[in-house]
Amino acid sequence: MIEIKDVSLWYKNFKALDHISTTILKGQTVVLCGPSGSGKSSLLRCINGLEHFQEGEIFIDGVSVQDPKTDIYQLRSTIGMVFQHFELYPHMTVMENITLAPIRVRKKSKKEAEEKAMELLEWVGIPEQALKYPEELSGGQKQRVAIARALAMEPKLMLFDEPTSALDPEMIKDVLDVMMNLAKEGMTMVVVTHEMGFAKAVADEIIFMNEGRIIEKGPAQSFFDNPKNERTRQFLSRILWQIDSRVKVKGSWN
Amino acid sequence: MIGLFSYHFDWSVLWRHPYGDLLIQGILTTFHLSFIAWVIAMGLGITMGVFRVMPFWLVRFIGVAFVQVFRNIPFLVQLFFWYFAAPLFLPTSAQKWLHEHLTHYSYWAGVVGLGIYTASRVAEHIRSGLLSIPQDQFRAAYSTGLTTLQTYRYVIVPYAFRIVLPPFTTEFLTCFKNSALTMTIGVMETTYTAYYIDSFTFHGLETTTAASLVYLSISLCIVIFMSFIEKRMLIPGMIVRGK
Amino acid sequence: MDLDVIIRNFEFIIGGLALTFQLALLTVVGGLFMGIVLAMARLSSRPWIYYPATLYIHFFRGLPLILVIFWLYFLFPVVIGRPMGAFSSAIISFIVFEAAYFAEIMRAGMQSVARGQALAAYSSGLTSYQTTYYVLLPQAFRNMVPSLINQTVIIFQDTSLAYVIGLREFLRRVNLVDAREVRSIELYLFAALVYFIICSTGSLISHRLEKKRVGRLFN
Repeated sequence: MIEIKDVSLWYKNFKALDHISTTILKGQTVVLCGPSGSGKSSLLRCINGLEHFQEGEIFIDGVSVQDPKTDIYQLRSTIGMVFQHFELYPHMTVMENITLAPIRVRKKSKKEAEEKAMELLEWVGIPEQALKYPEELSGGQKQRVAIARALAMEPKLMLFDEPTSALDPEMIKDVLDVMMNLAKEGMTMVVVTHEMGFAKAVADEIIFMNEGRIIEKGPAQSFFDNPKNERTRQFLSRILWQIDSRVKVKGSWN
Repeated sequence: MIGLFSYHFDWSVLWRHPYGDLLIQGILTTFHLSFIAWVIAMGLGITMGVFRVMPFWLVRFIGVAFVQVFRNIPFLVQLFFWYFAAPLFLPTSAQKWLHEHLTHYSYWAGVVGLGIYTASRVAEHIRSGLLSIPQDQFRAAYSTGLTTLQTYRYVIVPYAFRIVLPPFTTEFLTCFKNSALTMTIGVMETTYTAYYIDSFTFHGLETTTAASLVYLSISLCIVIFMSFIEKRMLIPGMIVRGK
Repeated sequence: MDLDVIIRNFEFIIGGLALTFQLALLTVVGGLFMGIVLAMARLSSRPWIYYPATLYIHFFRGLPLILVIFWLYFLFPVVIGRPMGAFSSAIISFIVFEAAYFAEIMRAGMQSVARGQALAAYSSGLTSYQTTYYVLLPQAFRNMVPSLINQTVIIFQDTSLAYVIGLREFLRRVNLVDAREVRSIELYLFAALVYFIICSTGSLISHRLEKKRVGRLFN
C-alpha cells in the first residue's frame, strides 16, 4: 500500500533521511523505532506530504505523494494522523473538533457528521465528553479524541507520531488499547513509538532507524528475540532494561 | 505629485550658517539628554523593579504605585507637570533660586521627566525578567551550598541579564525617540530645531528629513547591536527573546 | 489648592476629551485595517511583498511620532499642492504610524499559534484557506487581543501629541486654561488623573484577558 523509494530529506545541511526504501502492505501494523533524531517522525510526515523531501518517491496505492498533479488535500483526507501533543483545536468543543474536517472537506451535513462523531466517541470510550473543551480533558482522553478526529474521515491509513510519549503512565494503557482494537479491525497503521510492549503484542513488522537510515526491518517476534544488527541490539538492550525494571501490573503493557 | 515640482529643495539649509550649527547643537542635545535620562532610568527603574518582587508589602506597594502611575499617564502630561507644576510645590525662595540659577530649566525638567517615565518601563521589564527565572534555579544553587549572595551573583544575575538585555535595548531606543517630545517644553533638540529652522527658511521638508535620518540611524545601530549581542550571549536552548 | 479652577473650566476641558476619543477611535480603526494588510505582507513568502512591508515597519518604528507628525505636515502640502488641515494631518500621521505597531502585534499573534495545529488541520485534508480560517485565525486573534488593547491605550495617550499642530484636544485645552489661570498644579494633576483612570482601566481589561488566554491554551 505504501511504497517508499529511495527517499532522502535534508533540513538545510542536516540529512534527516538517507536513501530510505521500504514497503508497507495493506492491513499491516508497522512500528518505527529508534533513538532521537533518527528520522522516524520525519519519515512519517513525508508519507502524508506534510514534509517535503528532496529525493525519491512515495506512492500510496499507486498515487505519488509529491507529484504536482496529485491532489494532496484529497490524498491527506484518506490518511489519518495522530500527534504526540494531541493538537486538538482549543477553541472548539470535542464535537466540533471531530466534525470540522468531515463537514468542510467531505461536505457532510452537520447531522451526519455529528452522528458519526458520537459513534466514534463511543468506540474510543468517552461519549460523555462530546461537548467539553479540550482543556477540560485529561491527556489520555485528549489523545482518544484525536484518534476519533482522525477516524472521522474514514481513512485507509493511520499514522501515529509518538502518541503516548506525552501521557502520564496510567493513561497510556487506554490509548494503546484503542490502537490495538484499530489494528485488529484491519487498519493499516504506521506507529512511531517507544512502547516496545505494544510493538511486541500488536505490530506485524518493526523497523529500526538510526541517523536517517533503516538499520533493520523484520517481523516483530524475531526482531526482539534475534536482532541481526549490532546497533539494533545496542538500542534494544538499553530500552528493554527500562521495560524489565518496570513494575509488572496485571493487564498493563509492560 | 504636482506640488513636488513647484517646491524648491534647498539642502544647503542643513549646513549653511547659522542653521548648520543649530542643527548640530540640536542633535547633540538629543544625545546627551537621552543619555542622562537613560542613566536615571536604569538606576531608578532597576530599584523599582526589584522592589516589586521583594517580600515586604510596603516596598512592593511603592514599586507597584510607581509603575502604575507613570505608565498610565501620557509622557507629555508628565513633562508638562515637571515643567509647569512641579516648581510650584517648592517654597517661593527655592523657586526664585531656580529661576535665577537654572538657565536651562526646560532641559532639566525634560531630563527628569524622561528619566522617570523610562524608569517605570524599565521597572516592568526587570520585574518580568525576574519572574521568568524558574524557582528551581534557586533551589539547585542553594542545594549545592551556595549562599544567597553567591547564588545571585553567579547564577541569577547572569541569567536575568540575558533575559533583560533585548527589552532594554528597545527601551533605550524608545527613550531616545521620546526625547523629541521635550520640544513641547522648549528644549532645542533635534526635532524642535528642524521645526525652528523651517519657521525661518520654509524648508521644513529638508530639515525634518535630516532629523528623521538621525533617529533612523540610531534605530539601525540598535538593531545591529541587538543581533550582535544575541549571537554572542545566546545560550543554546534558552529563550532570550521573551514577550 | 483651588479646585474651583477645574470646575469653572470643566466644560471646555472635557470638550477636549470628545476630540481625544474621536482621534483615538479613528486611529485604532484605520490602524487595524492597515495593520492587517502589513501583517499579511510580513508573513508572505514573496519578496516583493515582504521587503516593502518590513521596510515600512522598521521605518516607522524607528521614528518618534512627533517627528512623523511634522514630517507629514510638511510633506503633504508639497505633494498635494495645498496645505493640509490640522485634524486630517494628525489622523493620517497617527494611522500611518500606529499601523506599524499593530502589524507587529498581529504578525506575532499569527506566529504564536503552535505549528502543530496547522499540521493537524492539514493532515485531515483541510486546505490552506480552511486551515487559516477555522483553526489558525481564531487562536491568533485570541492571542493578540491583550496586546491590541494595550496598543489602544498607548494610542489614547499618543493623541496628546496632536497638541503640537494646534489641535484642541484634551491636553491642549488644559494647557490653554493654565496659560490663562496659572493654576498649574491643580490642572495638570487633574489631567493626569483623567488619563490615569482611562488608561489603567484599559490596562486592567487587557490584563484580565491575558490571564484568561493563558488558562485556555495549555494542553
